[in-house]
Amino acid sequence: MPDSVPLARSPIACIAPGVVVDGWEVTAQRSTAAQRITDCTPLAKVLVHAPANGPVAKALGVPFGRLRRDESSGVIIGSGPGEWLLLGPPSTAPALAAKVQELGHSDDVSAVDVTHARAMIRLVGDRAAPVLSKVCAIDFDDSVTPNGAALRSSVAGVVTDIVRHDLGGDRSYLLHSERSFGQYLFDALVDAGREYGFEIDGFRSPGI
Amino acid sequence: MTTTSIESRMTMRLGPQPGEVIDRGAPLTFTWNGAEYPAYRGDTIISALAACGERVFSRSFKYHRPRGLLTASFIDPGCLVQVGDEPNVRGAHRRLEPGMVVRAQNVWPSLRFDLKSVNQAAGRFLPPGFYYKTFMAPQAFWPLYQKVLRRFTPGGTAPSRRPEALFDARYAHPDVLIAGGGPAGMGAAIAAAESGAKVLLVDEEHELGGHLRWGGEAELAILQALRDAVAASANIEVMSNSVVTGRYDDNWVAVAQRHVANVEERLIKARAKVLIVAPGLIERPYVFDGNDKPGVMLASAARRLINLYAVKPGDRAVVLTANEEGDAAAADLQRAGVEIARVVDARSGGDVVRARGRGRVREVEIAGGETVEADLLVTSVGWTAPTALLNMAGDRPLYNRRAARFFPAEPPHNVLATGRIVGDGTLDQLLAHARAVGAEAAHRASTQRASTGRAATRQRTLTADDPGVSAVPDRTADRSPVPIPDLPIQDHPALFRGASHGIVDFSEDVSSKDIVTAVHEGYDSLELTKRYTTVGMGAAQGKLELVNAIAVHAEATGRTMEETGATTWRPPYAPISLGALAGRSFEPLSLSPLQPWHEAHGARPLVAGHWIRPDHYGDPEAEVRNVRQTVGMIDVTPLGKFDLRGPDVPQLLNLLYVNRWSRLAVGSVRYGVLCGEDGVVIDDGVTGRLGENRYLMTTTSAGPEAVWQWMEEWLQTVHPEWRVHVTPMTAAYASMNVAGPKSRELMRRVVDGIDLDPQAFPYMRVRTGRIAGIQDCFMWRIGFTGELSYEIHAPASYGLHLWETLLEVGADLGIRPFGVEAQRIMRLEKGHLIVGQDTDALTQAFGAGLDGLVKLDKEDFVGKPELLWQKERADYPRLVGLQPVDGTVVPPEGAQIVGRRDEIVGRITSSRMSPTLSRSICLGFVAPDLAAAGTIVRVRLPDGEEIPVTVMAQHAHFDPEGARLRA
Amino acid sequence: MLRIPCIHCGPRNAAEFTYLGEERSRPDPNATRPQEWRRYLYMQSNPAGWTTERWFHRDGCRRFFVMERHTVSDEIRAVRRPSAQLRLDPDGAAGAGETDPEGRP
Repeated sequence: MPDSVPLARSPIACIAPGVVVDGWEVTAQRSTAAQRITDCTPLAKVLVHAPANGPVAKALGVPFGRLRRDESSGVIIGSGPGEWLLLGPPSTAPALAAKVQELGHSDDVSAVDVTHARAMIRLVGDRAAPVLSKVCAIDFDDSVTPNGAALRSSVAGVVTDIVRHDLGGDRSYLLHSERSFGQYLFDALVDAGREYGFEIDGFRSPGI
Repeated sequence: MTTTSIESRMTMRLGPQPGEVIDRGAPLTFTWNGAEYPAYRGDTIISALAACGERVFSRSFKYHRPRGLLTASFIDPGCLVQVGDEPNVRGAHRRLEPGMVVRAQNVWPSLRFDLKSVNQAAGRFLPPGFYYKTFMAPQAFWPLYQKVLRRFTPGGTAPSRRPEALFDARYAHPDVLIAGGGPAGMGAAIAAAESGAKVLLVDEEHELGGHLRWGGEAELAILQALRDAVAASANIEVMSNSVVTGRYDDNWVAVAQRHVANVEERLIKARAKVLIVAPGLIERPYVFDGNDKPGVMLASAARRLINLYAVKPGDRAVVLTANEEGDAAAADLQRAGVEIARVVDARSGGDVVRARGRGRVREVEIAGGETVEADLLVTSVGWTAPTALLNMAGDRPLYNRRAARFFPAEPPHNVLATGRIVGDGTLDQLLAHARAVGAEAAHRASTQRASTGRAATRQRTLTADDPGVSAVPDRTADRSPVPIPDLPIQDHPALFRGASHGIVDFSEDVSSKDIVTAVHEGYDSLELTKRYTTVGMGAAQGKLELVNAIAVHAEATGRTMEETGATTWRPPYAPISLGALAGRSFEPLSLSPLQPWHEAHGARPLVAGHWIRPDHYGDPEAEVRNVRQTVGMIDVTPLGKFDLRGPDVPQLLNLLYVNRWSRLAVGSVRYGVLCGEDGVVIDDGVTGRLGENRYLMTTTSAGPEAVWQWMEEWLQTVHPEWRVHVTPMTAAYASMNVAGPKSRELMRRVVDGIDLDPQAFPYMRVRTGRIAGIQDCFMWRIGFTGELSYEIHAPASYGLHLWETLLEVGADLGIRPFGVEAQRIMRLEKGHLIVGQDTDALTQAFGAGLDGLVKLDKEDFVGKPELLWQKERADYPRLVGLQPVDGTVVPPEGAQIVGRRDEIVGRITSSRMSPTLSRSICLGFVAPDLAAAGTIVRVRLPDGEEIPVTVMAQHAHFDPEGARLRA
Repeated sequence: MLRIPCIHCGPRNAAEFTYLGEERSRPDPNATRPQEWRRYLYMQSNPAGWTTERWFHRDGCRRFFVMERHTVSDEIRAVRRPSAQLRLDPDGAAGAGETDPEGRP
């Protein structure tokens, strides 16, 4: 029985040639285009359930519908009423979960590692909003969904968390869905983005 | 063609006009019915043909009468043509492209000599309802009738292959959406944008401007100023050559955008905070004998031809005018060098009786008996208000007798109207109205924005002002902060039908006489007359013919216009292609992490809901034998999986499952069945306790969405006090079932720190640990196939690694993958039911043979009362194992079991040939009196033959004691 | 398409929601009789007017809520949690100051 650590694979097919980043097989393809799409599935993802008015909610410090960047633990997203999604660099999920679990009584808080349960896609570029408008009925105008907004809706028919998370002044969205829909969702976005010149950019660590 | 020859062919082309849209520096050629024609860029198909002196562009629908240009706009009913393989192209709207291949439609063998025009002579034999009356009986002749009728089907030829063109769709969220880009629409857009609103301005024509485009220098100057202001505003998005096809609940507005870069047609689904309806007015044809002859056209058509395309509409004209548009047309014609034979002024009682001439207008009979020679008859007798979008918003427009047209009544608060649809007046008055409406629309949108846009996406307080939650009529007009001035309404003579009968519906060839006949036959309601005569049901969809039909109907019934009312405008307002409707359709697809392997190894795909699964890898029966003899492995990733956490999970499980869950030990798993409140089986699966407060629940592959909703519903609405957290984990694990007598030996080679000894890890237990180097796996011993088996759940990202490792290390044991079909055979051999296949929407738990599972002594569980009563009644059909006496016959699933009197007493739910037993085996329902073991029932096969089938003592056909799976 | 004002997510297209029929209460399963139980299962009053119905925001927050809707005009006058009453009000006054059970402002 080989004792080596197996390679993790995203549900989104890796475009050859691949490279290994933090134990994940990702495409080596790099793009500097203004409009980019990246498979960010390797990110650590932890789903937290806790009462919306308890100590955990206070410690996480972000309500449903908003996002907060936390220096020590990455990004905290208020993904639902009494529900949070924590994102961190690859392979930090167990630590993230353990940290949150300690914030409240174990009967009240649960932190589930959903790294392998979900797919994560990032769109970057000023045309990201028009691309999403081809596949999602939400208004992506700044007045409605500014940087830091989080919501859940249907994207190309798939229930998806949509998080506006701009990168260094560039408009950007993180899309988070059930893992099994990952390839379909990615293909739908690439197709919608073709007219705006979206290019596939490989995942780079830490990625968040 | 040289420039000179181009010019010489365009015999009707005028010199440069101030508002012309053609580019004389860009000549091009195209073909019409096989012959080459010249044109300029900017020409429509019809304007170019008219410039070359062509007058006939199609044959009419029923009588195959020659038809020419009537409106020179999108709706022109005589100008539908075939362009390449695209049928029914609006020739008076579609702009020419170099090399376009254009043909006439509905003609045979040619446009000039059309054999089907014998229908014309036979017109009196084609009365309204002709088809209903003639082709009703005898029924046996229908195939023959169909053949004949199909030859007379109008329209072009649909392409035989899939068009190359791209169709698209997107969503939009304008504050203010304006339907109509004439002066009113542009004025409203500018004012709304100045007030900070995001505006989407939609116009059906190729350029903004409406009737200003074919006006004089003053109009053109105003047009330029409006266009400049629109272009300068960053808040206005303009969509020309686009049309609002419908308005639905809460201002959900559909826009068809035509011919944008690389996209044939795009459907825009817009959620507009406020909709402004500014379509202007549509000029209405006059009904008289000969009104459809080529050479009879509307004043607006003549003005479009002259001013937009520099085309002279004829040589000698009679003008019938009842308003300023007619007067302006007469002036334009004169300026264009058309000889004005007569101007007949309807305002002072003048009238046209009929137009005569073979194939086209040659003379016009004027009231009083005088006949005037002319090749052109221009009419301007009044207007149709295109109130479609207002009707769709729930408004019931009112007929105004003085103005002889309909006006908006009371649109809802989130719909406003401006322009000529609202009233008359000078251009200044109309623009002032439009600006006020635009500013008010921006205001109404901003009050909505304040409430809906708050806190990014959330809204707690809704107000009655929010049209999103309220469709109440506009009670707040007096609360409008922007006062909207009234527009004057001008008197207009009521001219619908003249002294003779003529065509009302040019698209469907329905005459005023047909409508009168229909009324005399008893069709005294306009809605019925419409359906009987098909008036208003053709390509123009009422835009030209509706008001004339109302007038003729009113005249025939002796009622007023108001009493007659209008038929209902329904979406779509304008035609929309199926391509655009199909546009970007979403069919989500779920894939297992093992899918690449399945594809590479010849798996036959099976579509199961949104999943693709391997049905088999070539030979399902061999796959079964391999599992029974050595070891096999199946991808069961689609099994629904939920992580349940919290101290109250046992209470939830006890409530939802029919069996008991309070004493499930850590490390154990249990099979459970979920029923609805009606006692009907809705799902089943295995749930294991992985830790003190941690459970993993599985459902059927089809069930996870419904079961998730079901759990949340009970948790949120009935027991919000229970501390249970549900996380969907279906796709989190690559799940594979390793089954067969050698599965333990295989697992021994890959697990790390899990004791596989049957004493340490017996049947119905779960263990967590490292498998093939993968952390955080768990596996449980269950047996859907009836064999010793381990269902392994590994974090999905490592699933492929595990699958390949198992195949590699198990090669010497004879491991082979198996698909869904082999699994179905084995579970049937074992007698395990499949919810949805061996149960249906009426199967309560006892009927499915779950007697041992249902715990009626539990305090409560979902469906308990119904199951209690079911057990008491004991009258339900039973699911039983069945074996045909002749084991070589496999009765198909769904075959019926019949009783002594041929009544249906049951049915086969599952059937297969068992490779293990070498005989056919089934599950099925039988009436309670036939359920005893050994009973012989009759199964009727599809060919009518009946076979005897034996009722078995238990569901399982193979290893009923379960010795193999407990090994 | 109607917009449904989700209590958590704000107005969204009706296509994101599952409609679950009129609000109803579950009879005591150990004391109920068939007629009463089946009224709970199958009977809806289906008025042409105001009705109180249950909705599920399937594609969004996955929360159940109760909504008062007029079946003729489609006017929606109130949405609330299944258990706690939370009023909608033209002035937004009633509801203010009430503590949201999930602790949001």
